[in-house]
Amino acid sequence: MFEFLFKYSRTVFNQGNFVFLNSWPVWMLWAGIAAAAAGLGFLIWRKGGAATPVRSVLVWLLQAALAALLLFMIWRPALSVSTLKPQQNIVAVLVDDSSSMATKDEGDAARKDRATKVLTDGLLQKLKDKFQVRVYRMSDHLARIEGLDQLNAQSPVTHIGPSLKQVVADAASLPIGAMVVLSDGADNTGGVDLETIAEIRRQRIPVHTIGFGREQMQRDIEISNVELPQRTLPESRLSALVTFHQHGFTGQKAKITIRDNNKVLAAQDVTLKAEGAEQLETVLFNAGPAGVRMIQAFIDPLPNEENLRNNIVTRMVNVDKRKPRILYLEGEPRWEFKFARRAVEDDQSIDLVTILRTAPNKLYRQGVKSADELKNGFPTTVEELFAFDGLMFGSVDAAYLTPQQLQNVKDFVDRRGGGLAFLGGKDALADGGWQATPVAEVMPTTLPDKKGTFQWTPANVRLTPQGSESLITRLEDDPKKNDKRFEDLPYIRNVQDVGTPKLGALVLAEAVPMNGGGKALPLLITMNYGRGRSAIFATSGSWRWQMLQDKSDMSHEMFYRQFLRWMVTDTPAHVTGSTPRSLMADESVAQLRATVKDKTFMPAADAVVEARIIGEGVTETVAMTPDQGEPGTFTLDWTAPKQGDYLVEVIAKRGDQELGRDAFTFRREDGTAENFHIEQNRALLEKLSSETKGNYYKPADAQQLGEDITYSEGGISVRETRDLWDMPILFLAFLMIRAVEWLLRRKWGTI
Amino acid sequence: MRPRSAILAVILTLSLWGVLLAQKPFKEYPGEDRIPLPKDWNVPHEWVTARLMWRSYGGRMAFGFGGWGTDYPGGDRNLIEGVRRLTSIDVRSVEQPTELDGSDDIYNWPFLYAVEVGRWQLDEEEGKQLREYLDRGGFLMVDDFHGRYQWQVFEEGIRMAFPNEDIEDLPQTDPIFHMLSDVDLKIQIAGEAALAYGRTYEQADDPYPRWRGIRDKKGRIVVAICHNMDLGDAWEHSNEPWYPEEMATTAHRILVNYASYDLTH
Repeated sequence: MFEFLFKYSRTVFNQGNFVFLNSWPVWMLWAGIAAAAAGLGFLIWRKGGAATPVRSVLVWLLQAALAALLLFMIWRPALSVSTLKPQQNIVAVLVDDSSSMATKDEGDAARKDRATKVLTDGLLQKLKDKFQVRVYRMSDHLARIEGLDQLNAQSPVTHIGPSLKQVVADAASLPIGAMVVLSDGADNTGGVDLETIAEIRRQRIPVHTIGFGREQMQRDIEISNVELPQRTLPESRLSALVTFHQHGFTGQKAKITIRDNNKVLAAQDVTLKAEGAEQLETVLFNAGPAGVRMIQAFIDPLPNEENLRNNIVTRMVNVDKRKPRILYLEGEPRWEFKFARRAVEDDQSIDLVTILRTAPNKLYRQGVKSADELKNGFPTTVEELFAFDGLMFGSVDAAYLTPQQLQNVKDFVDRRGGGLAFLGGKDALADGGWQATPVAEVMPTTLPDKKGTFQWTPANVRLTPQGSESLITRLEDDPKKNDKRFEDLPYIRNVQDVGTPKLGALVLAEAVPMNGGGKALPLLITMNYGRGRSAIFATSGSWRWQMLQDKSDMSHEMFYRQFLRWMVTDTPAHVTGSTPRSLMADESVAQLRATVKDKTFMPAADAVVEARIIGEGVTETVAMTPDQGEPGTFTLDWTAPKQGDYLVEVIAKRGDQELGRDAFTFRREDGTAENFHIEQNRALLEKLSSETKGNYYKPADAQQLGEDITYSEGGISVRETRDLWDMPILFLAFLMIRAVEWLLRRKWGTI
Repeated sequence: MRPRSAILAVILTLSLWGVLLAQKPFKEYPGEDRIPLPKDWNVPHEWVTARLMWRSYGGRMAFGFGGWGTDYPGGDRNLIEGVRRLTSIDVRSVEQPTELDGSDDIYNWPFLYAVEVGRWQLDEEEGKQLREYLDRGGFLMVDDFHGRYQWQVFEEGIRMAFPNEDIEDLPQTDPIFHMLSDVDLKIQIAGEAALAYGRTYEQADDPYPRWRGIRDKKGRIVVAICHNMDLGDAWEHSNEPWYPEEMATTAHRILVNYASYDLTH
């Protein structure tokens, strides 16, 4: 239809430039149109008569449009278009040969077979009739093939951008007139970069794309993402945030399983939500002993699911063999102290060191490394304090510490990145005067400026919505059961008013006074501050969770272990190595990073840092480069030669002195991304063609490409002029305008 | 108090008790000593010394001399003063009599003191509850029983809770004797009766002080046994000039050490 009305195909219009062939200047056209409109207006106004103003304007508009049309045709509009010279140009045909092209989502034929059929049904012959044709298979690299039978759709990777780049590079020495890409658009490099598109445009080579595969799956569930921490402590409870979407299974049940290789760590049934909507589910599991975990999130296949390869996503978790040390200063012997110590004594990943003021001038130390450690009480130097990963204060007044010690505690959170916790007590928090210290700034609440905040008020514990999701307060995997379990815990005998939670703080639990004893008070509050984190547990009464429940009940132990682990899991060491992605799916360049601090946790910008990399037949030691924008940070982009596991040890030195070292792992895995997003990425293919003055075709329309491909400014081409004044659309417009005026006049009874 | 107000008070007390998982309110029983209640008897504090009301032939109410209420409440009040004076522990001014009656009350008091256990009787259910109490984190100190026969009676009862565990003699070097103060275990803390006869022991068949203990699976002392001694008398009479200062001091030191040990292990 388009070609019938406009005389030429869309491609001609896309490729061509609009011109007027009449030698008269174009401004005369506009002047003529204006003059004609003005003259017609004057005549219609003069004639006037019984016509209303509206009718007069309508008649004037129609007659002026007709005059403009006639003048437009007189100026001889035309298209100036480049066409490829027959038999002198090369057309590159790029066929996607990745494994996603093996998908049979439209009938019994695979996408690869449908692409082959499009070519053998005449398109290839049409191209060969006019041009030299080179056929390539496109996967992780571009390779020329002699016959379509060389396609096997088994390559684990598609790199569309680099493939196009390679053809463009060939165009420097070859007359490449156009490119034809047959693909589903599934690309593992994230699309075609702007640089490649700019280069194609510079060479003026149109890229025509033919898209294969359904644009939306009919029956499929796909995991979009799995969020997990890259590092954790042994036997930690982790939450995997699994994001997925589905088509065709709304309302049905599915099972998410978390596995470590083939060992099932956790399983959870979920009800599938709306069609195509992203759904987020949290699955809790235990990280297990120290070592590298390959954690897989897996959704059991559903009936007649079209693609099973996107039901599994792997993430790498380094379970560090370290034992963070927490220093707990308690101002008075009390049950919370005893039972908190007992709760974590079997936790092999927490080293709880305690200083207890048993009498006004007597300290009792437990968990110290030597007889001399902490013999003078709470650390007085930054080095001694920062050797710990976490700090906890019980019922101890702020005046017990010197101003310098208080400042060090604040810096412990802000600069060192440690975890800080306060427990409620008669000499704790506001009753201990902490609101008037530098430490108040890092606390998660603004403490009341008064005494008497510690009350012997019996209360039950209620989790907030944030608490239901928090790993600190997860005693049960199921959030509802967890809420109930907290409600059923024995009462706490006291609670402390901690004031108002600060912006950014999370209230995880509230104390609800029994027998209508007042309003609920924030009980467990957490907040991130600076590089570290802080928390308040505003009671000294959780020990009854241990004493008033069966000895086999682990509520109290679990709570304290999770609470203390939260405090220290992310506390950095002097040297911390990392990579943004510990599992590189279809990527080869690992971005390695090391953060180096000195003994006082100031950035060690003058350090010399090297990375020792071992894995897959490689043993290399490479110097890391200081990041000028971030003192104390060192980076290295390192190419992993092949897929597999790599161990990186970063070692930082200042002169002969070693500041520290850290080890972490990453994995390069190829062919993973090909299993995801296997719907046709039409947006990518359309963008590629439109940016390069090519066209996007569905397979059914692909034969038209045989004609359209002629119009190109690339290769060896000649410029032709195509008249437009005789387009049928113009004559039709002429007749339409006259017909409308006639019909209107008949209606008005003026003819 | 008018009858209506009294009924209301009882209802409120009972309902609070029920809500607090059967933590019984303070109650004072008739004892050996007639001393007034401290003014702050009803002010809550962190640490409370609980006195075990064990059952004897006369039942649990057989308080007074020879029963669970021996040296009660004077001994308790004086030991409380001692703990207040010598430590940072926040102590309630009155003791808490409690019993192994199958209710949850005893679990609210993790430090338990029992006297005259050479006369006690523990049946299977009581033994089970005592074991559960100690396994959850409780601590039991027993005192004021003498000679071989009373040891046999005590052992018969404690075996209801610990059928197979060792009862060991604690050495002078054990940390429990050095928590706040060093204690000389050679000092035998005598009762009033023994001192009246110019002795430090009550039964000639076993005249020596025995500091013994039972440990849990992690090696913590959970039952501290003071045999052939009477710390209760020492606390009770520690303010009286006729009672030997060395014994009174040692008794207080033992108590603060045991309490501190319990609060830290």
